[in-house]
Amino acid sequence: MSLKELRKMLDKKEIGAIELTQHYLDNIDKKDGALNSYITVCHESALNSAKNAQEMIDSNNSDSFTGIPISVKDNICTLGVKTTCASRMLEDFIPPYNATVMEKLNKSGIVMLGKTNMDEFAMGGSSQTSYFGGVKNPYDTSRVTGGSSGGAAASIAADLCAAALGSDTGGSVRQPASFCGVTGLKPTYGAVSRWGLIAFASSLDQIGVLAKSAEDTGFILNGICGYDKNDATSSKNAKGEYLSLIGSDISKLKIGVPKEFFADGLNNEVKSAVLSAVEYYKKLGCEIMDVSLPSLEYAVSAYYLISSAEAASNLSRFDGIKYGFRSGLGEDFNDLIKNSRREGFGGEVKRRIMLGNYALCSGYYDAYYKNATRIRTQIRAEYASIFEKCDVILTPTAPTTAYKIGEQENDPVKMYLADIYTVTVNIAGLPAISTTCGYDKNDMPIGMSLIGRAFDEKTIIAVCDRFEHDFTRKEAEI
Amino acid sequence: MRYQPVIGLEIHAELLTDSKVFCACQNEFGGSENTRVCPRCSGLPGTLPLLNMGAVKLAAKAGFATDCTINNYSAFDRKNYFYPDLPKAYQITQFEHPICTDGHITVKGSKDIRINRIHIEEDAGKLVHDDYEGISMADYNRCGVPLIEIVTEPDFRSIEEVQDFVEQIALRLKYAEVCDARMEQGSMRVDVNISIMPVGSTEFGTRAELKNLNSLKAIGRAIEYEINRQAEILDNGGSVVQETRRYNDNHGDTKALRSKEEAHDYRYFPEPDIPPVLLSDEDITEIKNSMPEMPQTRFKRYTEQYGLPEDDANLIISDKNFSDFYDEAVKINPDYKQISNLMLVELNRNLNESEKTISDVTFSPADLAELVKMSTDGVVSKNAAKDILKIMFDNGGKPMNIAKGHGFIMDNDASGLETIVDKIISENADSVESYKNGNQKIFGFLMGQVVRLAGKGANPKLAKELLTEKLK
Repeated sequence: MSLKELRKMLDKKEIGAIELTQHYLDNIDKKDGALNSYITVCHESALNSAKNAQEMIDSNNSDSFTGIPISVKDNICTLGVKTTCASRMLEDFIPPYNATVMEKLNKSGIVMLGKTNMDEFAMGGSSQTSYFGGVKNPYDTSRVTGGSSGGAAASIAADLCAAALGSDTGGSVRQPASFCGVTGLKPTYGAVSRWGLIAFASSLDQIGVLAKSAEDTGFILNGICGYDKNDATSSKNAKGEYLSLIGSDISKLKIGVPKEFFADGLNNEVKSAVLSAVEYYKKLGCEIMDVSLPSLEYAVSAYYLISSAEAASNLSRFDGIKYGFRSGLGEDFNDLIKNSRREGFGGEVKRRIMLGNYALCSGYYDAYYKNATRIRTQIRAEYASIFEKCDVILTPTAPTTAYKIGEQENDPVKMYLADIYTVTVNIAGLPAISTTCGYDKNDMPIGMSLIGRAFDEKTIIAVCDRFEHDFTRKEAEI
Repeated sequence: MRYQPVIGLEIHAELLTDSKVFCACQNEFGGSENTRVCPRCSGLPGTLPLLNMGAVKLAAKAGFATDCTINNYSAFDRKNYFYPDLPKAYQITQFEHPICTDGHITVKGSKDIRINRIHIEEDAGKLVHDDYEGISMADYNRCGVPLIEIVTEPDFRSIEEVQDFVEQIALRLKYAEVCDARMEQGSMRVDVNISIMPVGSTEFGTRAELKNLNSLKAIGRAIEYEINRQAEILDNGGSVVQETRRYNDNHGDTKALRSKEEAHDYRYFPEPDIPPVLLSDEDITEIKNSMPEMPQTRFKRYTEQYGLPEDDANLIISDKNFSDFYDEAVKINPDYKQISNLMLVELNRNLNESEKTISDVTFSPADLAELVKMSTDGVVSKNAAKDILKIMFDNGGKPMNIAKGHGFIMDNDASGLETIVDKIISENADSVESYKNGNQKIFGFLMGQVVRLAGKGANPKLAKELLTEKLK
């Protein structure tokens, strides 16, 4: 059932808001022990919100999200509700403010079911680096969900919420959406306020949406987008109306297929599923164009230098002085800072902090950080030139499907390389959506991505929606 | 060997904005600990900085006050280091693209000191150490207070040049209402980079950076100590170490804080949370037009147009409020010299004796202008004008009312005075005799008797004429 239909049912009182919330809370209680997709479940406050929502509906004051139960990634600040970033460092951190997205959704009467699990500080592609334990894939609990919004993706795939907020710095919404067989939208940089999103890499981070369909992601994006004076990098160009092209004729669109995204390293089953999606659009009448993004080979390096540099700085505030984890060891404040960080952060976070600081050191800055920003400029230019000819770009979301837990996590370089198809979108600040386009021999979902022009989410949502209409998903059996 | 010091300055000045530079917290000095903090300036996760354009404007004004170029494009960077008084563990500053560049100030009348740049940054908090309890506490009230840093080229060659520069900067920032420049409160802080080289040499020596200089005198003493310290090292065949040294005003010496090797690598990089600051030519012109008259311009006006001596002009401009008062007064009564004299001598005497400043004065510049006019018009005597000023200063009131109420109005009626002069002459026959025998000094005594009898309103000029005449 789509969010639009859910809205109608709530407003027609074919279903009650409390009943709906209770249904999801029951699902969570029943299934999430096996998945670990939630860090915090807000039984009481969710039911209170549902009660308020029902009152809004009963008094004919309902809004788009009144009574819709969602999950929220645990790096998005929620007033009075623990926001941990899946880290020991923030194990007990309760923000005294809401993220702007939560302010907007709360005003509309949304119901927050709880906070979802993730890679620690959103650093990772497996959702296995969480201090609260890894997340398991609803399609096969011996496999990873992808990450870092793995809890969010699993919560959709296992029907533990109606929609989910995630965040995407280098693929953290799209890749887990791909692994868990759901739809994930990463909006244009600046479309959604970052106020209250605990920063990983400020120039790349965007709050995104995971849901059951492209239409649902656009439905939520309509409610969270827009300029926010609290975030100087938010844009006045994000105006909503993301569902406006759904159902319109897309057969005149030109779809670019960049050859570098189909080269070595791409799993064959993934490749053939994505190419059949290309075929699908071709049959609709879309013009398929061979395009090229030559800088793709430098993209992962550039991404890890820029994101780690920013992360090293962003995570410096976690020093044990003001809030969060504080070590009991040591004599002076230098010890206090060192030990708090040593004990409070997990291995992957420390690895990125080391990498980032190294890239920023005087003497290395030009070779690493500065060069990475040059590649960033180059990638932007290459995308701009592709979008002179094409309306949408179609790529695989990830080189593989969900792998077995424990299979790749100990090889960081291999993990990093798996981000190759998603990171360029963040580097260029573009919007992209991932949807399921097939299943591999183990019945694990395969994802494809549609990349659009900046602030043109409505086109990729419509193009994605068209495909989803003619594609039948397999339900996760959990 | 004789040495030549080579000195450059880094001056931090707190900007007089209402709120902090990246949040809405009040920007004020003092107050109870951690009462002016919010999630933004205390570095809570998920918060983002919001640039206060008022701070940008004041920084640009500081640029205009020092003949800098104001840049259309400037941008913020992060300076990363861990310290408990820095909640985000990075300071937001302008490293690559400062807002102002290439300024200069003339010191000691003729020497140009080049200003490399002026950039905007945020202040850190303060640590309070309780040695008794053995704990340290952080006060974040000062976190995010807007600062500018003014960086000069190493153009100074003497203590006097440095002191003149610092005085001028302080004055100009005060005039432009950019900073209140109170060194003792720390709202303006001067760091001195100093090296020495043999006289005649052109190759600079290794420099030391001196911190914690909170007065002009401290700057002078610290530089002097440092020149001697470095000279002694060189004289003994040693070499100066590049390091940061802290000046101790009680001991009059400097002590090493950290050497170059221990210096932080600040890992600067562009601040991704704040878009670059873009000022159009129109924006810059608008800021320029909002600049008040600078002290150096006033000095020119006072000396060239008003004909005041340079020393007097300097005294007036040294306090903007004093100078403003003077300007208001001469607008009403353009007797530049007399008003300057009355203010610099009599008004200043009253201020000094009562330990007040010009802002405490309750009468208006118009009152002072009127008083000077009454004196020059002969309505009251010069001495009476001083007395009236004192009464105005102590109790307030209008000069004419005071003059009337206290009998200061000069009596220009000769017949009344003549009677008094006759009376004094007849009552003091001995003195008159003595005067006529050549004792000129006795004239003052007789004159005093006349004035005493005639009262405060006596016209001294007329009295003198009459007495001289009658004593012939």
